[in-house]
Amino acid sequence: MIWEVFRQEQAGEYHTHCGNVHAPDREMALTFAQIQHGRRKPTHSLWVVPQPEVSEVDDEAATFGGTTDKSYRWVMPYNRVDPEFAEEIAESEAEQRDADEQRSEG
Amino acid sequence: MAASTERNERDGRLGGPDELSEREQAAVETLCYRLADDELVLGERYTEWQVRAPTLESDLALSNIAQDEFGHARLWYDLLEDFGYTEADLIFERDPGAFRHATLVELPFEKGDWADAIVRSYLYDAAEHLRLEALENSSYPRLADRVRKVLSEERYHREHARNWLERLTAGAEGRERVQSAADRLFPHALALFEPVGESDADVDALGLRTESLDSMREQWLDTVLPFLSSLGIDAAPELCEGTDVESLLPESVGRDGSHTDAWPELHAEMTRTYRDLGRTEARRIMSDPDDAE
Repeated sequence: MIWEVFRQEQAGEYHTHCGNVHAPDREMALTFAQIQHGRRKPTHSLWVVPQPEVSEVDDEAATFGGTTDKSYRWVMPYNRVDPEFAEEIAESEAEQRDADEQRSEG
Repeated sequence: MAASTERNERDGRLGGPDELSEREQAAVETLCYRLADDELVLGERYTEWQVRAPTLESDLALSNIAQDEFGHARLWYDLLEDFGYTEADLIFERDPGAFRHATLVELPFEKGDWADAIVRSYLYDAAEHLRLEALENSSYPRLADRVRKVLSEERYHREHARNWLERLTAGAEGRERVQSAADRLFPHALALFEPVGESDADVDALGLRTESLDSMREQWLDTVLPFLSSLGIDAAPELCEGTDVESLLPESVGRDGSHTDAWPELHAEMTRTYRDLGRTEARRIMSDPDDAE
């Protein structure tokens, strides 16, 4: 049986897929994974997951992100915004906060 | 005696390698040879499984354990080098009859018998654990300082062996093979607790070790016999019938310099390249453990 192995380098980080091990059960998978995937690179934690439990959808079955131009999803245009607008936005937000407070007091 | 006054002044702790009396040094050497020789020879045997273990995963796991044992041997031999010995003196040019490992680690594996490797590892690592715990508060600081590092690696060895034993004994055929390996290896595992000689009494008297060999053997029997029995393996039926442990020992125990024929052969093989290349000293490829710490 194949177990997919995910390694986390430091607490708080994502577990990242790093390979697999052959093992008859969960405990042996953990035993083997420690050596096969945890001995050379810095390792804080390992997950083992039975391969059949992993579900997949690939680019043949799905059109990831669609096919039409959706570059507006990227926030890149904001990089070219006049920095003075930032002040304006901050002021506007402050105004809205004040208004909100006044409403709740009233 | 000057030396013992010295020891008392230090709260029972011995000094550094240059400050030991002759008797103290002899006891430290006895202890280090026991430790280092066991680890070296077991590691050497384990490497025979490389590319031959049942699966890639089990191959890597056992090879890694072998590397751990070599690393531990290096720490203990390094303490002997404090007294002026070189690696060539300690390993490559040493008379095989001067090695003090127990016969458990020198026996060849039954050909292709993975149960042999696992049972051997289990019996050894259970003893190794007790032995290291008895060194954590050793009166020789150079030794005590290195124990913790080794202990943390040994935990994996025990888990690995136990996990395998549980699975090998799940079926009738596997259980039979584990039983036959246990029958063959158990007497040699008892040799682990045999004294090297009279200087072993000093190892206890000087506080180098905080548990005697007899006491560790009792604890070891209390650990391994119930575990094996829970798996349907009867390791030493004679013991339950009140037979003396000593009478179960094999003809050669290793600790006293008496070895099986397999040992000189293994030593010759292990040192062949050194001789073939006409070496007179061992090349150092790693920094001294003291510098690496």
